[in-house]
Amino acid sequence: MTKDKMSFQATAGTAGLFVVAAALRLLLFTAFPGLPNLLTGRVEISTPVTSFKRLQEGLFLYNHNVNPYDGGVYHQAPLLLPLFSLLPDPSTYPIFTYILYTLVDLLSANALYKIAESGEGGASRLYSSPRKEKRWNGYVVAALFLFNPFTIATCIGRPTSVFTTCAILHAVAKALSGNIFTSMLSLSFATYLSMYPLLLLPPMVILAYDRTYNPKVPKSLAQLAGMCTLAVSASLALLFLSSYALTGSWEFLSSTYGIQLTLTDLTPNAGLWWYFFTEMFDSFRSFFLGVFWLHLSSYTPALTIRLRQQPLAVITLLLGIFAIFKPYPSIADTSLFLSLVPCFRHVFPLLRYSFVTASVVLYGTFLGPAFYHLWIYAGSGNANFFYAITLVWSLGLSLIVSDLAFAVLRDEWEVERPEMRGKEIRQI
Amino acid sequence: MQPFSLSSLIPLLTFLVPFVAASAAPAADYHEQLNLKPLPQNSLLASFNFRSNTSLPEFEAHNFRFFPRSLGQILQHAGTRELHLRFSLGRWDAETWGARPWEGTKEGGTGVELWAWLEAESDDEADHKWLTLTNALSGLFCASLNFIDSTRTTRPVMSFRPEGDHPNTTMANMHLLHGVLPREVVCTENLTPFLKLLPCKGKAGISSLLDGHKLFDASWQSMAIDVKPVCPTGEECVLQIEQTIDMVLDIDRSKRPRDNPIPRPIPNYELKCNTTKSYHADDTCFPTDSLNAQEWTLNQIFGKSMLGKCPLTDSNVPPVCIQAPHTRDVFTSMDVTELKEPGNENQRCYLLPNNEEEFHLALPFMPRDGDHPKTDADEFVQPATPLLYAERSLTGHGQEHGGVQAILTNPSPDAEVEFVYMESLPWFMRIYLHTLKARISHRTGSDAGQSLRDDNDVIKEIYYRPFLDRQRGTQLEIRMKIPPGSTVFMTYDFEKTILRYTEYPPDANRGFDVAAAVITILPSNSTAMTGGKAARMSNLRTTGMLLNLPTPDFSMPYNVIIFTSTCIALAFGGLYNILVRRFVGRNEGPEVSLVKLRKKLQDAVQKFKGRVQERLGVAGKGAKKVEGKTD
Repeated sequence: MTKDKMSFQATAGTAGLFVVAAALRLLLFTAFPGLPNLLTGRVEISTPVTSFKRLQEGLFLYNHNVNPYDGGVYHQAPLLLPLFSLLPDPSTYPIFTYILYTLVDLLSANALYKIAESGEGGASRLYSSPRKEKRWNGYVVAALFLFNPFTIATCIGRPTSVFTTCAILHAVAKALSGNIFTSMLSLSFATYLSMYPLLLLPPMVILAYDRTYNPKVPKSLAQLAGMCTLAVSASLALLFLSSYALTGSWEFLSSTYGIQLTLTDLTPNAGLWWYFFTEMFDSFRSFFLGVFWLHLSSYTPALTIRLRQQPLAVITLLLGIFAIFKPYPSIADTSLFLSLVPCFRHVFPLLRYSFVTASVVLYGTFLGPAFYHLWIYAGSGNANFFYAITLVWSLGLSLIVSDLAFAVLRDEWEVERPEMRGKEIRQI
Repeated sequence: MQPFSLSSLIPLLTFLVPFVAASAAPAADYHEQLNLKPLPQNSLLASFNFRSNTSLPEFEAHNFRFFPRSLGQILQHAGTRELHLRFSLGRWDAETWGARPWEGTKEGGTGVELWAWLEAESDDEADHKWLTLTNALSGLFCASLNFIDSTRTTRPVMSFRPEGDHPNTTMANMHLLHGVLPREVVCTENLTPFLKLLPCKGKAGISSLLDGHKLFDASWQSMAIDVKPVCPTGEECVLQIEQTIDMVLDIDRSKRPRDNPIPRPIPNYELKCNTTKSYHADDTCFPTDSLNAQEWTLNQIFGKSMLGKCPLTDSNVPPVCIQAPHTRDVFTSMDVTELKEPGNENQRCYLLPNNEEEFHLALPFMPRDGDHPKTDADEFVQPATPLLYAERSLTGHGQEHGGVQAILTNPSPDAEVEFVYMESLPWFMRIYLHTLKARISHRTGSDAGQSLRDDNDVIKEIYYRPFLDRQRGTQLEIRMKIPPGSTVFMTYDFEKTILRYTEYPPDANRGFDVAAAVITILPSNSTAMTGGKAARMSNLRTTGMLLNLPTPDFSMPYNVIIFTSTCIALAFGGLYNILVRRFVGRNEGPEVSLVKLRKKLQDAVQKFKGRVQERLGVAGKGAKKVEGKTD
C-alpha cells in the first residue's frame, strides 16, 4: 500500500518535472523564434553529421527526387528522411519539429530516470559499493539532464544527435530491465544513426548479462555475447537493407559513415580532429586517421576488462571518451555523458579535481563562443584562438573522465581495504 | 602502276585547279570587320570580328587554308565538334552602355571560359577528351586551361545549345562540357597566340590595331573564339572559325600618351561640372555625365594606326564601320569610300583601297555652344535597352555563413522574359538549395511599388547537381520567367568550408573567385524553340564574386600536430595510468625507484653539505689569518 503510494507520488513528481521541462523548451522555441536557427548554426551544437540545416537540405533533395547522398551536404542516416518527411515542412510549421524534439528529450529523461532508479550505479551483481546508500533518485538525475543548459541548447538547436542520445539511454535502460533484445535493437539504432555507439557493445553485453544472471540456471557470457552480436548485426543488416531500399543505392554508406572515417568535411567543432587534419601533411593524413580511430577504440577493451564489475561505469566513461575524441563531437555528446555522471553520486566525495574540472568546463563554455566570434566574425583573432579553446575543453573533459575513473576504482579498492577510507593513497 | 596513274592525273589536276578554286571561293573565304560604336559617358565600343571558313572534307584531309592549323589539329585530336573559348576582363555597364554586343553571345565571365561539344561514346571518354582538349588549348593560348579539372567542369543541361549545324547522327554522341577559370588574369600573352591564328596575323587589316597595352587597359573586354560547322541551305557544309574581340575603351584613358601614363588630378579649371546642381560652387563639383565630347582619332585610342586592309578579304566588304548619328562629323583618309546602308542611316562603313597605306579615321570636336550647338544625341546613338538587367552579390558577414542575392530586372513595359540562370559554384561553397527563394517587386500593375513578396512562381524549373567534396562543384540551372516591369530578388544561403591548409592558394586571405552566373535568355516565342534549329538566344553574365573563406594558421602545422598529440597523450596516459596501476596507502608498498633515487640523492646532498661545512670551517680560519697579514 505504502509502496504503491510512494511510486504514485514519484510518477506524479516526474510527470510534473516532464511538464515543466517540456513547457520550458516550448517557451524557448516560441518566445524566441530566432533562437532555433541561431543555435542550429552554432558549430558547438551542429556538426556536419548531425546538423538540422543539413537535414533540411537532405529532406528537400529527397522530396525533389535528387539523391541526397550524391552531394556533399547530407551525411545523416537515410531513415531520418522518411521520418521527417512525415512532418509538415519545418520552415512553415516549425511547431511539429519542436514537439518532436521535446518528446525525444522527455523519452531520454525517462530512460535516464529508469537507469537511476535501478541503482546500478552503486550496486551491480558482482559489486556493491560501501557508499551505495548515498545516491540521487531518478527524479533528480532526470531533472539534472532536462535542465542542463547543454541539453536545452541541444534540443533548441535540433541536431539529430538527440536521437542517438535517446537510443543509447534506452539501450542502457532496457539492458538494466533485462530486455536484452530491445536493448540490442536500441543500440543498433544508435549505431545506425552515428556509428560510434557500436563500441558500447561489450559493456552493454556485460550489463545485460549481469542483470539477467540467474544463479540457478547460469548461462555462459560467451553465449550471450554471441547472441547479442548476432542480434545487433541482424538488426543493423535490416536497417541497412531498408535504407538501400529507400535510396536505391549503397552510396549512403560512404556518405554517412565514410565521412566519419575519412574526415573530408573539416567544419570546426568542439573536438580535436578538425584542426589537426586541416594542418596535417597530405602524406600522413591516412596514417593519422588510422591512429585516431585506433586510439578511440582502444578504450573499450581496457575499460571493460578493468571495470568488469561495474559495466554502467564503463558505459559512462566511454561516453565521456567519445564526447572528446569522436571525429565530430558536439555538446550533445557532453550532455549525454554528464547526464549519466549523477548516477555515481556515491563516488563524488572521492573526486580529486572537481573544482578544477568545473572551472575548466565553464571556461571553455564561455570562451569558446567568444573566441570563435573573434576568429570568424570580428577577424581580430585567428583559427588558433578557437583551436586553443577546444584543447582546453578536451583536456577539461578528459580530466573529468579520468577523475571519475579514479573515484570508481578507489571505491572498488576500499571494499578490499575498508580501513583505508579517507586516507591518502598512491598508485604503483 | 602508280607512276603511270599519277602522271596521267597531273594534266587533269592542272586543268581542274582554277575550277576548284573558283567553286571553293565562297566556301573558304575570310571576312574581317571592325565596328566602332560611341557610347555614353565618353566610351567607345570597338568590336573586331574575324571569320574564316573551310570546307569539312578539306578540314578532315588536313588541308588548312584560312583555318589555323594548330587549332585545327587540336580539335581533330580531341574529337571536338564545336568549341567556344572566351577570355574576358572587366564589367559591362548595362545601365549606361545598354544592350551587349552580339547579344552577349560572344562574351564570357571574368577570366577564361571554355565550352565544347565533344564526340564520345561514353561520359568517361568525353572526360578524357576534355582533358586532352584543355591541356592542348592551355599550351596554345598560354592560359591555365589545364587547371579546368573535374571540380570546375560542369555539363550544363538547359543553358547551352549547339550553335552549329550538326547531323543528327553525331548529335546523339555529343557531350557538352563547360569549364570556367574565374581567377585567370587575361593578358598580353593570351592576345599574341590569338592574333597568330588570324590569316593576316596582326600585320595588316584591322588586326594591326590590336595592341595589348590598350586592349587590357579597356573598361571591359572580351576575346572569343568560336568554331562550329555551318551548313548553309543548298551548299556544302563548312567549318567556321569566328574570332571576336570586343572592348569598351575609356576615351580619355586611351588618349593618355604612352610616355606619361600616370594619371594626375585635373586642374580645377579643367573640371567639367554639372552647373545645374544646387550645391555647385567654386569648391564643389558634380561631374557631368558626358565628361568630354567624343573627340578622337583611330591612332590615338588604339595607339597604332591601321596598316591598310588585309589582302585576303573580299574587297567588297568594308573593313571598318562606325555607328554614329548621321549628324556626327567623321573624317577619314583619302581614297576611302564611305558607304551608307539605306535602311540604317546611323551606320557608316568605309571601303579601303587595295593598297597598304595607313587608314585614318578621326572624330573631330563638335562645339556644344555657338551657332550650331551639338548635343549628346549628335555624339552617339542612344543604346538599346537590354532584355534583362542582372547583378549578383554576396550577402551576410563573417566567414561561416553567407548568402547570394541575384537581382534580375525585366525593364520591358509589356513583354515578359524567360531565361535560364546558371551558376557553377566551387565545392567549398556549400549551398543550401532549400533556402532558395525568389521575391518579386512590380513596378507596374495593381501592387506597384509595394514591398517584396515571396513568389516562387517565377521559378519554372530547377536543375541541380550538388557538389561533392573535392570531386565536383555545384551546378545549378534555374529556368525563370519574369513578368514585365518587375524585379526578382533571388537568394540562397551557403556555408563556407574550411579547407586543408595545402588547398589554399598562396594569398589565401584575398579570397576565392566564384565564376560569373550565365544567363541565357530564351527566344520570346516558344515555337521558335521547338522548330528544329534553336532560334538565336542571347546571353548575359553577371560579375564574378570574391568569396572569403576562414583560414587556418598556415605557419603552424607542426605546432598543431604537437599540441593535439600532447592533449591526446595526456588524456590517454592519465586514464591508463589510473587503470593499470594498483592502489596502496601513502606509506605502504615497495619503494618506487624514483623515491629511492630521491632518498639516495638526499643522502648524497647531506653528505656533501657536511663535507663542505667541514671544509668551510677550515678555510674560514685560513682566511682570517690572511686578513691579519694584509692589515
